[in-house]
This record gives sequence, C-alpha cells and structure tokens, in this order.
Amino acid sequence: MKNDNFIGLDENDDGIDRAGFLKCMAWAGTGLFCIMSGGVLKSYGMSQLIDKATGRIKKGIEISKGDFSFAQISDSHIGFNKPANPDVVGTLQAAISKMNAMPSSPSFILHTGDLSHLAQADEFDTLDQALKSAKTGKIFYVPGEHDVLNDNGKQYLQRYGKDTKGNGWYSFDFNGVHFIGLVNVVDTAEGGLGVLGNEQLQWLENDLKGLSSSTPIVVFAHIPLWAVYPQWGWGTRDSEQALTYLRRFGSVSVLNGHIHQTLQKVEGNITFHTATSTAFPQPQPGMAPSAGPMKVPAEQLRNLLGLTSVNYVEHDHTLAVTDLPLSSAKTDQPEHQ
Amino acid sequence: MFFKKKYVVILGLGSTIAIAAAALPSANNEYKNLKVLPENISSKDLSKIMIDDFEDGLGVSCAFCHSLGKDSLRLDYASDAKPEKQIARRMMTMTLGINRKYFKFKHPMIGDSTLVINCITCHNGQPRPVDDEEK
Repeated sequence: MKNDNFIGLDENDDGIDRAGFLKCMAWAGTGLFCIMSGGVLKSYGMSQLIDKATGRIKKGIEISKGDFSFAQISDSHIGFNKPANPDVVGTLQAAISKMNAMPSSPSFILHTGDLSHLAQADEFDTLDQALKSAKTGKIFYVPGEHDVLNDNGKQYLQRYGKDTKGNGWYSFDFNGVHFIGLVNVVDTAEGGLGVLGNEQLQWLENDLKGLSSSTPIVVFAHIPLWAVYPQWGWGTRDSEQALTYLRRFGSVSVLNGHIHQTLQKVEGNITFHTATSTAFPQPQPGMAPSAGPMKVPAEQLRNLLGLTSVNYVEHDHTLAVTDLPLSSAKTDQPEHQ
Repeated sequence: MFFKKKYVVILGLGSTIAIAAAALPSANNEYKNLKVLPENISSKDLSKIMIDDFEDGLGVSCAFCHSLGKDSLRLDYASDAKPEKQIARRMMTMTLGINRKYFKFKHPMIGDSTLVINCITCHNGQPRPVDDEEK
C-alpha cells in the first residue's frame, strides 16, 4: 500500500526517519523504555532490557529510582463488545492489576480518553467501579471523542471535569512538574482531525507564561498532537500553535492515546509518546483500509494492550517512560535500584 | 456466489459513502431531523450505529457526513448541508430493503446485528466500496 505521508526523511533533524518510525512501531506490545534527559529521548526495546528468564531487568543496566511515578491508561472503551475484544472490562482490570503490582504505587493516573465506547452512563459507571481498585492517589482525565458522542461532552464534564476550563482543559503542578490536560475532541476538523481551538490555545499561552523555561512540562490529550497519520484523523489540526508555546521549555513530554499503539517522536526538546489501549488494538498507520478495531488471534491480544508507567527524577529533570503490555504474568517493571 | 456478486455490486453502485443520517440529541435528549432511523431511538442505539456501522464500517469520522455549524468548529448533527448525509439515508433505505426483500426480515432495523447485509458487507472499512474486478 502506498504511504505518501509517512515520514520518509529526517526533515526535522530529530533522529526519527521512516525506518526509525517503523522500528518504534514494531516495539508496540513488546514494551518500551524511554529516558528523557535534556530534551533528548533514548529509547530501548523491552527485549533489550528485560531478562526473559527472570522477567527482571538485565544485569549491568541501572535505572534510577524516580522521585515519583505516574501511570497512563488510555482508550478503555468500556461498552465495546465486538470480536476484537469482547471483555474490555477484563483487560482494563488486568491493566490495573499490572499497575498495582509495581514495586511502588504511582502517585496518580492519567487517563487519556475514550473512557467509554458510546458515552453511556452505565459505561462510565463501570469504568469508575473498575478504577476504584487502582492503588493510586488520584486519577486525572481528558476526554476522547467517544466520551462526547451524545452531548458534546456535557456528561463527561459533570463526571470528570469539575474545576476545569472550557470543554475540560486544566493544569496542575506536582513535585515541580507542570501537567497540562488538553481537550482536542469536542471541536472537529475535516477528516476527523482533533482541534484545540482558539479559546484553549489562548488559555494555554497564559498558563505557561509564568513558568521558567527549566520547568518540566507534561502535556496529555487524547488525539496525538503530532501528525501521526492525518488520513485517518491521527493528528490535531492546530497543534503547531500549542507546540510553539512549549518549545522554549527544556523538557516537554506529550502523552496521547487514540491510536491504540505505541509510537514515539522527538522534536527538539519535545518528546511525543502515544500509548496502547486497554481495550483493543488498531492497525499500524496505512497498513489497513482504515483505522478501527483490529482482531488478532486471542493469544496475541494482550501483547498489544497495556499501560504506560512514567518515573520522574527531580534532580535530573528526567522522565522515564515505560510501556507495559498486559501479556506477561510477571510485572515487567524493572527493579528500582 | 450469486447473492454476493449481485448485491455487493448493487450496494457498491452509487454509494460514494454511507454514514450518519441522524441528528444527535438536543438538550432534552430528543433527536432532530431523523428520517430513516426511528425518531424515538435511544442514545445508546444511535451511538452504536454511528460508531459500529458507519465509523468502523466505512472508516470515516462524524465530519464525513455531518457539517460544521455556522461559524463553529462543532458539528451541527441536524443539518443536511452535506450531500453525503443524504446519500447515507439512501444507503440505509437500500440496505433495509435488501434485507426485507431477499432475506425475509419483516422489520429490519439498521444496527441489528442479525441483518445479513449491512454497511460493512460492501464497504469493508472504506468510504467507497471497491469492486473486486477493479482491484
């Protein structure tokens, strides 16, 4: 299949060319470990790090213990029941169990949208019930397009958007890191691209104004803030404006969902990372007629689902991002040393 | 197979697209401008049709058939401004007719998973069905 819009050249001098991009995609489901330091992301496949015999990190590789950690869960699609995964509650619970088995509990969870499949009250209730078992301090949400289907997000806002602005955007600080939750699913553009909108962009500019450039920034939103594959709506039409405001910061991590697979891109000091779903996989960009639930052999499903763990080391201003597939019985989290 | 050849062609012809011919709810949860789907359809059933039949069946998003509101980036679900929406209505009517006439469904409903023919039968995840002979 012809893919004219794949990244073919390293035009941004960011080390990510087409081969690198595809290599990142190949990691999906096998797990990914990334360390961001000084705006440079170093990525390792989990197979490079994890000793298959013990399920623990290989000897000789040292990973600093983070000052705090948080987890990202995405695209739970509670209510989905097609053959790609008839038990999305079960796989969400498996993700929570995986997280609860980590050596230290995450300080909080970011859910990057598509909590529900059809934005029904009972679906949100089921999600809330499942997440009650998560060992964490707090859960922060942003909506996916499935969460705002019926009412442009009114129910979502009532349930998850208290003390937020506009359609549900907000920011908060935690241990010196500034977190920003953006909404790019309520307004829309041709082809299904996400839209942030002028009001939110103006708010973002103001929100960042008082921060020093050394403040580590974590941005999270549902639809990727980079052009992953615009033909399938995998991008945000006006994200470039948001990135303009973020470029002066020394360390920016952008966490997204929506595409149900792990992809990464580094652009200057900004690292983009998309997470796997807890519900069902989607095809790699351009490798199917369209995006949508992808049925895989049952024994492969949990390799393609998972969650993301992020450790933050304060004195280095570094974020280590680890993708954890649901597949292994043991927790793949490296031992902290 | 006779059925497959004949009706896949019928479904494919003239179907530049088929998607949401419905209007999502106003504040009081009533839908506006539904012409093929039942006016009293539940929010869950309507959303399921939009996602499972149209979004997944055709590989498109809402804005494929629904137009933006005036001076807005928000979809106006009730609007008939896009011709694709009218085509979607015709496609739904055709699909119901085929299930009624050739597969003996007395009261076929879009979204009924037991229907023999539905959007994905011909569209297979694409906005415009591809004829096997064109490949």
